[in-house]
Amino acid sequence: MAATGEMKAPARRAVAPAVSTAPVTARRVLLVRVIVALAVLAVWEGLSRSGLFYGEVIPSLTRIAASLGKLLVDPVFYKNLQVTALETFASLSIGAALGIVTGIVLGANRFLMRAFEPYVYYLSPTPRIILFPVMIMWFGVGPASKVALGALSAYFAVALSTAAGMRQIDAILIRVGRSFRATTWQMATKIYLPAMRVPILNGIRLGMGTAIITVLLAETKLSNQGLGYMIMQVYTRFDMPGLYALLIVVFAIAGACNALIGKLAREQV
Amino acid sequence: MEDIRLQPAMVVDDVVKRFGRGDEIVTAVDHVSFNVAQGEFVSVIGPSGCGKSTLFNIIGGLLGDYEGSVMIGDERISAPHPAVGMVFQEESTFPWRNVIDNVAFPLELQGVAKSERMDRAHHFIDMVGLASFEKNFPSQLSGGMRQRVSIARTLVSQPKILLMDEPFAALDEQTRLLLGDKITQIQQELNQTTLLITHNLTEAVQLSDRIVVMTYRPGKVKRIVDINLKRPRTSDVVGSDAFGHYVAEIWNDLREEASRGMADSESAASRRGAHG
Repeated sequence: MAATGEMKAPARRAVAPAVSTAPVTARRVLLVRVIVALAVLAVWEGLSRSGLFYGEVIPSLTRIAASLGKLLVDPVFYKNLQVTALETFASLSIGAALGIVTGIVLGANRFLMRAFEPYVYYLSPTPRIILFPVMIMWFGVGPASKVALGALSAYFAVALSTAAGMRQIDAILIRVGRSFRATTWQMATKIYLPAMRVPILNGIRLGMGTAIITVLLAETKLSNQGLGYMIMQVYTRFDMPGLYALLIVVFAIAGACNALIGKLAREQV
Repeated sequence: MEDIRLQPAMVVDDVVKRFGRGDEIVTAVDHVSFNVAQGEFVSVIGPSGCGKSTLFNIIGGLLGDYEGSVMIGDERISAPHPAVGMVFQEESTFPWRNVIDNVAFPLELQGVAKSERMDRAHHFIDMVGLASFEKNFPSQLSGGMRQRVSIARTLVSQPKILLMDEPFAALDEQTRLLLGDKITQIQQELNQTTLLITHNLTEAVQLSDRIVVMTYRPGKVKRIVDINLKRPRTSDVVGSDAFGHYVAEIWNDLREEASRGMADSESAASRRGAHG
């Protein structure tokens, strides 16, 4: 009965085409990416040397690289990075915690879901930045107003994703839990949460993206610390190489965070 | 066996379940009574729409609102009872747990210490013949193997009564016969009181000591048939004359009910067709 012949090979479906074509395709894709990057850099350098643009608008690559080097050893940069990182982390923690709770409540209760659905759906795509003046009045110009705004934006992404994940849970697994007389707490921790791990992590990933955007945006508007603030400072000084160097760092950090959570979500236990 | 049957493990007494309200009341289970003795294997058989699944949910305690009584000892079932272990028809393993953690699940709920939990889970995994797959995840197993994981998971909680709802419905005939052997063997080993809900005639005769034949809607008990085939039993019994007689006899009862069910669904289909 327990013969290996009865076992399915989970990899089989993917293996056949992957072996023959995937490495070739992957190599070509990589090649195109490298070519695009090099072309952009070449065009940039060409424009920079052409003298078509006023002064420093398009600085040369070497000057951007030099600025980047300077930035990476500048303690002021790390102080601001820390502020933004903490603000984003706090936004995401608060937004995700409230979002998961809301998602579970809405997902578990059809009536509440129907009642609240329009609010959640129509409010979630609204740009949060328009609420920034309100947040400043409530929480002041310091980090608190950025955290509040960031949390608000992360909240919707996580709540929607959690509610959807909750409704997708296979009903039979809930009946199994009930038949073994699981307590409410056991149902939540041993059935609902594990079954919703992937949608929740996806929600957190989306939430982190919008939290970073919102926090940075808010910092550029009104603040006295953080990377957004620093970008505006550099801009005010019209230090274009420094501005581009900062943007490169922000892209790199946001991309890395996104990749990390994406990996967590894909990793099926 | 007669003496053991004097002390029933479970008594189903005059159970009625209606759904809907006003003019649209449907009686799913209609004054059903039977009992299951200690160590006995009883099957409830009937066509689709005879209220089998409703009965399964009532006995399992998942459907608490019904008339009449299902008694275990002197307790009336109205919520899942520790003495009843359910095995579902659907795919019900937890995809995020490997085999041994799936099987250990009920023990985890009871707060059994980890090492004991693993020992006990291992014992029942071995019993269903999956000892070399303890670390595998359900997605890496066949449907028949996953159903055995579910059965082991229910057995590990050591229920007084094993309650199964068409556990082999999704499997092919050969796997079904072999799994039937496994069930017979386990049932004899544990002297496990078992109630099987099924629409499969050969499966019911192969496994049971008694078969409760249900009528098509509303679901009543049409007849209760004793199956006097020798024990210990294997799937070889399927080839015997006695087996053939039982199948023919029960089919005789069942045919009328099944064709009523078929006529009903055909007229429903033609009504839908007329509207469409």
